[in-house]
Amino acid sequence: MSGYRIGIDVGGTFTDFTMLDEAGRLAVHKTPSTPQDPSEGVFDGLRALAAAGSLSFHDFIARIATIVHGTTVCTNALLTRSGARVGLVTTAGFRDVLQMRRGLRESRYDNTEKAPESLVPRELRSGVRERTGADGSILTPLATDDLAAVAESFRRHEVQAIAICFMHAYLRNEHEVLAASYLRQALPGAFVSVSSDLVSRIGLYERTSATVINSYVGPALSRYLTRLQRRLAEAGCGARLLIIQSNGGVAAPEICIRRPATTVLSGPASGPVLGIDVLAKHGCSDGVVVDMGGTSFDVALIQDGQALFTDEGAIDKLHLGLPMLQIHTIGAGGGSIGWIDGGGLLHVGPRSAGADPGPACYGKGGGEPTVTDANLVLGYLDPGFVLGGSMRLDGGSARHAIATRVAEPLQLTVDAAAAGIFRVINTNLAAAIREVSVERGIDPRRLSLVVGGGAGPIHAGFIAQELGMPMVIVPRHSSVLCAAGALFTDFIHDLVRTHLGVLVTLDWPTMEGLAREMHTEAERTLDAEGIAAGAREFRWSFDLMYEGQHHHIGVPVAAQEFARRQTREILARFHQTHDRLYGYSLPEKDAGVSMVNLRLTAIGHVPRPALPAVPRTVAAPEAACKGSRPIWLPDANSTKEVPIYDGERLTHGHELPGPAVVETGTTTIVVPGGCILACDASGNFLLTPASHPVC
Amino acid sequence: MSAIDPATLTVVHRRLKAITNEMSLALLRSARSAILSEARDFVTAVFDAGGRLLEQTEHIPVLAYALPPAMERVIQFFAGEIHPGDVILHNDPFTGGNQCADVKVIKPVFHGGRLAAWVAISGHQADVGGAQPGAYNPGARTIFEEALRIPPVKLFEAGRLRRDVWQLIFGNVRFEELVEGDIKAAIGGVTVGERAYLELLEAHGEEKLRLYTDELIATTERMMRSEIARIPDGVYHARTIACHDGFDPAAQMPVNLHLTVTGDEIGFDYAGTAPQTQGYVNSPLSATLSSTMLSLLMCLDVRAMPNNAGRLRPIRISVPEGSMLNPRFPAATSYGNHLADQISAAVFQALAQAVPQQVTAGWNPTHSALLVGSDPRRGKPFVDILFMAAKGGGGALHGHDGYDHIGSIYTAGGVRAQDPEMFEHANPMLIHRYEYAPDSAGAGRWRGGYGVRFEMEFLAEVDYISVIGDGTVGAARPFGLFGGQPGCLNEIELVGPGSRRHRVAAKEVMRSVARGTRWHQTKAGGGGYGDPRERPREAVRREVQQGLISLERAAQDYGFSPGSLADEPSR
Repeated sequence: MSGYRIGIDVGGTFTDFTMLDEAGRLAVHKTPSTPQDPSEGVFDGLRALAAAGSLSFHDFIARIATIVHGTTVCTNALLTRSGARVGLVTTAGFRDVLQMRRGLRESRYDNTEKAPESLVPRELRSGVRERTGADGSILTPLATDDLAAVAESFRRHEVQAIAICFMHAYLRNEHEVLAASYLRQALPGAFVSVSSDLVSRIGLYERTSATVINSYVGPALSRYLTRLQRRLAEAGCGARLLIIQSNGGVAAPEICIRRPATTVLSGPASGPVLGIDVLAKHGCSDGVVVDMGGTSFDVALIQDGQALFTDEGAIDKLHLGLPMLQIHTIGAGGGSIGWIDGGGLLHVGPRSAGADPGPACYGKGGGEPTVTDANLVLGYLDPGFVLGGSMRLDGGSARHAIATRVAEPLQLTVDAAAAGIFRVINTNLAAAIREVSVERGIDPRRLSLVVGGGAGPIHAGFIAQELGMPMVIVPRHSSVLCAAGALFTDFIHDLVRTHLGVLVTLDWPTMEGLAREMHTEAERTLDAEGIAAGAREFRWSFDLMYEGQHHHIGVPVAAQEFARRQTREILARFHQTHDRLYGYSLPEKDAGVSMVNLRLTAIGHVPRPALPAVPRTVAAPEAACKGSRPIWLPDANSTKEVPIYDGERLTHGHELPGPAVVETGTTTIVVPGGCILACDASGNFLLTPASHPVC
Repeated sequence: MSAIDPATLTVVHRRLKAITNEMSLALLRSARSAILSEARDFVTAVFDAGGRLLEQTEHIPVLAYALPPAMERVIQFFAGEIHPGDVILHNDPFTGGNQCADVKVIKPVFHGGRLAAWVAISGHQADVGGAQPGAYNPGARTIFEEALRIPPVKLFEAGRLRRDVWQLIFGNVRFEELVEGDIKAAIGGVTVGERAYLELLEAHGEEKLRLYTDELIATTERMMRSEIARIPDGVYHARTIACHDGFDPAAQMPVNLHLTVTGDEIGFDYAGTAPQTQGYVNSPLSATLSSTMLSLLMCLDVRAMPNNAGRLRPIRISVPEGSMLNPRFPAATSYGNHLADQISAAVFQALAQAVPQQVTAGWNPTHSALLVGSDPRRGKPFVDILFMAAKGGGGALHGHDGYDHIGSIYTAGGVRAQDPEMFEHANPMLIHRYEYAPDSAGAGRWRGGYGVRFEMEFLAEVDYISVIGDGTVGAARPFGLFGGQPGCLNEIELVGPGSRRHRVAAKEVMRSVARGTRWHQTKAGGGGYGDPRERPREAVRREVQQGLISLERAAQDYGFSPGSLADEPSR
C-alpha cells in the first residue's frame, strides 16, 4: 500500500485519529471535537499528526492515500432536530402514519411522557390521490392535480427536502417515480428521497420513517461532505475519502450523499469491525464488543465472525427501517451519575455529567458523584496520571460529592458508597451484555469480550467475571476503538426487496427477476466505487417466518442454492435457526413457511492492513512496574496495595497476575484478583481467569 | 438492616427485572398471534415460593396486577402436589383469573429439591372455546357461553406432557394451530424465566436472596407509602357510568367509588356500584384490582419503583360481592378488562379533588372489533382485531396535552397498531383512511390527545364481527377537567353496497357482512384540562392550519371569532 491510511472518528467530545504509514507504523491522536463545523476538528487533528511526524502540513497531506471517516453529522442533525425542512408526500389518507409511530408510548404509567416531535409537521405532510393494492395492481391512478397543489404548498413553506412514500410502493413504484420527477421539476434544488429507491420493503411506517430521515439529514450531510472534500482538495490532498455507514461498511461520499440515512449510526459502527479482527486473531468467532465513553455504553454481538444486523433500529424513538449494525446502547459511562431514590435504592445513570461540567473530580464545577469519581476514590485512577499526565483529577471533590449525595443518605462510609456505585454500574453494564446475548439464547460464558473507550478497561475484568466470560481483550488502541476499526472496513451495501409468498410454491421467475435487478444495482454501485471484480462478494439471504408469525428470521442462502432453487436446504436452515432462537421449531410445517424479503449484501473487499507487531520478550514484567497504590478489591471487600504497571512498556510475552493496575497513555486497565493479564503479539492486552490461562 | 448491602440490593432488583424482560422477549418473538407478537397483550412475572410478586414486566397494565390472585389460587389448589417440571394452565375468572381469554401459564422453580419460586405469563389467546370465536360474546349470560373454563390444570406433570389434558383443551378451541403455538411459546417463555432465576439463586444462595427480596419488597412499600402520603387525607367520591350491558343498549351501570386516603394508606370502596349485569359486562375481582392499580399508579411517580408486592401493601380494596365489579359465579365476564375505562375515570375524578395536578382527564373508551372470515385470495381463514382503529387519544394532564393515537387506558400505549400494508396482506380489506380525527380531542388549556379516523372496504364477505366497547352515547364521553371539554364520541358506521347505512352499537355482533361494505370508524380523542381560552392562541392557530381543529370548533371551544384565523379570540 502506498501512502498513509487514516481513520477518523468524530465523537461528541473528542475526534479520534489513527494513522497507518507505509512502514506499517500506527499513530494515534485525540483532539477536541468542533460541533459547529466538524471539519475544523478534522484539520486540527491532521495538523497534529503532521507535527508528530515532523512533516510540514503540505507534505503530510500529500502523502495520505485514504481517509476513512466516521461522522456524527446525521446523528446530531436528528438528535438536535436541526435537519432540513422536509415535505412528505403520502397516499391520500395516510399522512399521519409517520407521527403515529404505530401508537406506542414507551412508558406505561408516566402520563407526562411526550411523543418525539415529528420530523415533518402535519402541514407539510400531504396526501395525494393514488393507490396500489396489496397485489400490486393500480387501483387509483396518480392525480397530477394533487401534485400541483402539493408543489405549491411546499414552495410556500420553503421546503428544502422532499420524501415520497406510497402504499405498497415496494410492489410497484411507478407512482413514486412519477411523483418524484414531477416534484424535482417543480422544486429544483430540493433534496428528494423516494421510498422504493431507498428501502423497497413492506411496512408503511418503517419505510416512511426511513425515507423522511433520509431527506431530513441529506442536505446537512451533503453540505458537510462537500465542504470537507473541498477543504482537503484545497490543502493539496489527493486522498480518497470514504464514509462509514451504519452497517459497518464504507461507501463513497457520492453514494452516502444520495442515501444519507445509511450513515445515521456511522459513529459507533466501525468499533465492531476492529473487534472482529482481534477476536479472529485469538481464534474466536463469537464475542461481544463494547465501547464505554463518558455517557454511553455501546454493545455489539459478534457471531460466526460477523456483527449482527437489524432493520428494527431506532434513534431517539424514530425508527430507521434500514439495515444497521445491531448496537445496543445504554446510558452508562464514566460521567454517569449515582443517585438515591425515594425508597433508598442506589441507582447509577442514565443521566451523565457529560464533558461539561463533567465528574466532580474534573474540578469544573460538577457536584454530582459519577462513576469516574468512584473509580478515583477506589484507587483505580491515578489523580496525577490521566491522559498520560496531561490532566489532573481532584480526589477531594470526588470524595465530597460521593459523601454528600450517596454515603450520608445511605449511612455508609465514602469508600463503601464508591464501591456501591462501582458495583451498580458494573451490574448495568453486565445487564446490557446479557440483553444482547441471552436475548438470542446465547450463553455469555461462550463469548469473549473486546473492550474499548476510555472508561471500559477499568470495568471489563469485573463484568467478565460476573458473566463468566472466558477472556477480555483490550486492544492496544482501545481508547480510539472506532478510529482504529475504520482502518479495517470493507465497502458494504445492503439491498432489499419484499417478495411475499410461500417458500415451497414460490414464484421463482419473479424472485429471480428481482434478484437480477438487485445484482445490477449493486454492481453499478461497486463500479462507481472502483472495486475490482475479483474483490466483490455477494451474499443473499431470505427473510422467512412460519405463516402467521410477525417476526421473520434472516436465513443466509448460498448463490448456488438460490440458482438451483434448493428450498429443502433453505427450509432446514430456517427450522434450525428458529429452534436455536426461540426454543422450538415446526419441521413438519414446511408448507407453512412464508417468504417475506429478499436481501442482498454486496461487499467490496479492501486489503486489510497489518497492524504493527510488538517485540517478544521472555523477561518478567517487573521492569514495567512503576510503583504501587491501594485499590479496592470487590471480592475481598477491602482495600489492598497493588502494583501499577506502565502499559507502554509491556510487550508480547509479558504476563502478570491480578490484582494489579496497568496504565497506558490513554487508558487504565484494572486486573481483578484471580485474573492474569498477558500481552499478545500485536500489543493487545488479554485478561483471563488464572485457573484457565489463555492458550 | 445492617446485613443489607445497597449495591447488592440494586443488583438483585436489576436481575429480577431482566428475567421478566427475557421471558417477555422469548414470547414476543416466537408467538403466532398478532395479539401477542404485534399488540403485545401479555405480562410476565416472577413470584417467590409463597406467591409474593417479586417483579413483573407489563406491556398491558390491565393484566399486571391480575396475576397475583391467580397465583395465590394455584398455590392453594395444588398444595403438596407441586413437582419440578410441572406446567400449570389457568384462565378461570372465579378462581383468581381476570378474563377467560387471558390464559396464565405458570411454572414452579425448584432448587435443591425444594420449591424456590414461580414464573408466570398471562397472555391474551386468540380463542378459548365458547359459543363465539375470540371469547367476546355479547350474547353470553353465563361463563358457559363464553369459554372453556380452566380452573388450574397441569399441562405437564413432573416434566411429562399430559397428552389427555392437552387434547381436552385444544380439542375445544378454534384456530387450534395458532393457540397451540402460542401456548408453546408461553411455555418456552416460562422455561427461560426458570433457567434465569436458578442462575440468580446459584449466584446468591437461597437464604441471602430471600433476605434481599424481602428488603426489596419493604423498600418498594416504603416508596409507595411515601407517594401516597403526599396525597391530602380525606374521602373523595366519584361516580361514572358504563353503558350497554350486552343486551340492553340503554342500560346504564354506575361505578361508584369512595376513595379514602389516611396517612400513607389508600382505600377504594366500590359500594353503590351497579349489581352484576345480565350480560358480559362484569369485571372479576382481579380485573377490578388491576384496573384500580393501573389508575392509581398513573397518578403517582413510580418511575424508579420496583414492581413487586410492596406496591400492593398500602392498598385496601373493597368491592361488594354480586356487583358488576365482583360478580358471582356463573356470571359472564369477558368484557371485564374494559371496565378499566370507567374504573380509571372514577379514580381520576376522585383524586382530582385531592391532587388535581396528578390526574388526567378522560381517555378514549374501548370500541374495538374482532373480524373473522375466509380470505378468498388464499382460501384460508383470517381473524384479526382492529387495534389501529382503536387508537383513540389519552386525557390531558396539567402541563401536558393528552397523548395522540395511544389507545384505551387499559393498554396505556403498550399495544402496537398494525402496519397498514401488513394488514392488507393478512386480511381481505382495503384501507382508505387512517389519520388523526380532526376535532376529536377535548379542548382545554391542555387539549386531549387526538383520536383516529379509520375507513376501510371489505374485499370479501366477512363471516363474523364482534364489536365491543362503550363511549357511543353522551354520558360516556371522555370527561374534561377543570373547564376542559370532553373528547368526542366513539362511532362506527357501516355503509353497505346499496348505500345502506348502519350505525353500530357499543356492543354488537354482525354476521355475513357483504363484500364492498365500507367501515367508517372514529375513535374518540381524550378529554381536555383547564379553560380552553387560556390555551396559547398560537397553539390553537397552528392546529387549525394543520387541519386538526375546524374553524367552527376554534370559534366555539377556543373563542376565535369565526371567519378569520388572524382575529383575536373574542373574550
